[in-house]
Amino acid sequence: MSEVRTILLNRSVAESLEEEANELREELKKRKLFVINVMSSPGSGKTTTLIQLVNLLKDEFKVAIMEADIDSDIDAKRVAKETGVPSIQLHTGGMCHLDASMTRQGLEGLEGNFDIIFLENIGNLVCPAEFDTGASLNMVILSVPEGSDKPLKYPLMFEKCDLVVINKIDTIEYFDFDYNIVRDFIFKRNKNAKIFKISAKLGQGVLELKNHLVSLIEAWGK
Amino acid sequence: MSGNQPPLFLYVRAKIINDTIYLLYMNKEVPIYEIKEDLALRYASTADEIRRNLKEKKTYLLNVMSSPGSGKTTLLCSLINKLKDEFKIAVIETDIDGREDAQKIFDKTGVKTIQIHTGGACHLTSQMSSDALKIIESEHFDLIIIENIGNLVCPAEFDVGAHKNMVLLSVPEGSDKPLKYPLMFQVANLVVISKIDTIPVFDFDINEAKKNILFRNPNVDIFEVSSKKEAGIVELCAYLRKEIKEFLDE
Repeated sequence: MSEVRTILLNRSVAESLEEEANELREELKKRKLFVINVMSSPGSGKTTTLIQLVNLLKDEFKVAIMEADIDSDIDAKRVAKETGVPSIQLHTGGMCHLDASMTRQGLEGLEGNFDIIFLENIGNLVCPAEFDTGASLNMVILSVPEGSDKPLKYPLMFEKCDLVVINKIDTIEYFDFDYNIVRDFIFKRNKNAKIFKISAKLGQGVLELKNHLVSLIEAWGK
Repeated sequence: MSGNQPPLFLYVRAKIINDTIYLLYMNKEVPIYEIKEDLALRYASTADEIRRNLKEKKTYLLNVMSSPGSGKTTLLCSLINKLKDEFKIAVIETDIDGREDAQKIFDKTGVKTIQIHTGGACHLTSQMSSDALKIIESEHFDLIIIENIGNLVCPAEFDVGAHKNMVLLSVPEGSDKPLKYPLMFQVANLVVISKIDTIPVFDFDINEAKKNILFRNPNVDIFEVSSKKEAGIVELCAYLRKEIKEFLDE
């Protein structure tokens, strides 16, 4: 695998961020390109989850990954090595989130035609929820060690998401984490959220999540 | 002022959720405060002014930051219970929503606790900490602890006027966080590696974590704790005790 490319993003100058995001989404629909915006706290397992999903999807679909971070290119290098699909590292120059123009800059930085692109957002449960990236789907990961109360404390993130992935379920015995409580809290914020339980490390539950994504991908742009 | 009910300032509004105001202090009702941007009415205060004023009043302000779910609240409960006989302590809990943390601190330690809601903001500013300090200024405290919003990015950009910044990095998050979130580790005076009892469960290399922390900030003090197993708490308390005593005696 060749060196991973890193690009430094510029903040959007659009008057309406919302319009810009909606335009991008329409364009993606026409191109039949499904972009999944993945958000979570730092260290919830976004990268590991993506690697598992990409490895299940890459034979059927053309997949690429955009990794956003404030600094370092650890994640982009890791996904390139562990999946073999094209990846690009986006640096936000200190910013705590991505917007639709940044997504566009990332898309332009990736060469080739793809069916699915994963966009790994900055690890942060607050700011990324405030900015529409123009993605087709918002996926939030909540890991067991963070605790069941997070949907109460970070309302917008759980209101904006289409699906919630509970990760690191293999560690549940070590933490005070109650799945029933967390499910109620998630539904309190968002009655329509789909919830999946996985252990990205062990590959548990990833196939169900992948199958759900495939059904959404197949419906996209139809 | 009846002591238990803090004064309500014009620009700090009480938050009443579902017609309930919340029981936090001495079993008297204390509201949740929502701090809003209201520039015309704001008490202008820079972080340095706050630090200077608190120094004169002999109050040590500790700002605690980390990712969501790294164990800030649990660690604070352990520390406060070990320090509260020596120092008069208050806690300012900041969240976007909810009151679980303030309730937990109060239930487990009994010290004065107030809950601040930032109105959606991802960090505290010196204006907000100044407002929050005003709510409890009728009493003297040796140590006031601010629990910032769970976020490794934005809180690092805003000096809230604290004398020290304590950053938690929990084992399940992984040892690479100082590389990805540089500023947070640069502004830290001490870094606490938390949940060390779970090291065998995760791929966490503590030497790698320390190396990454020191790469960002060679002067930082590093502690290893497990609040759940009470490991490392005594050492961290000894450090804080020395810090606060030196500050109060200066």
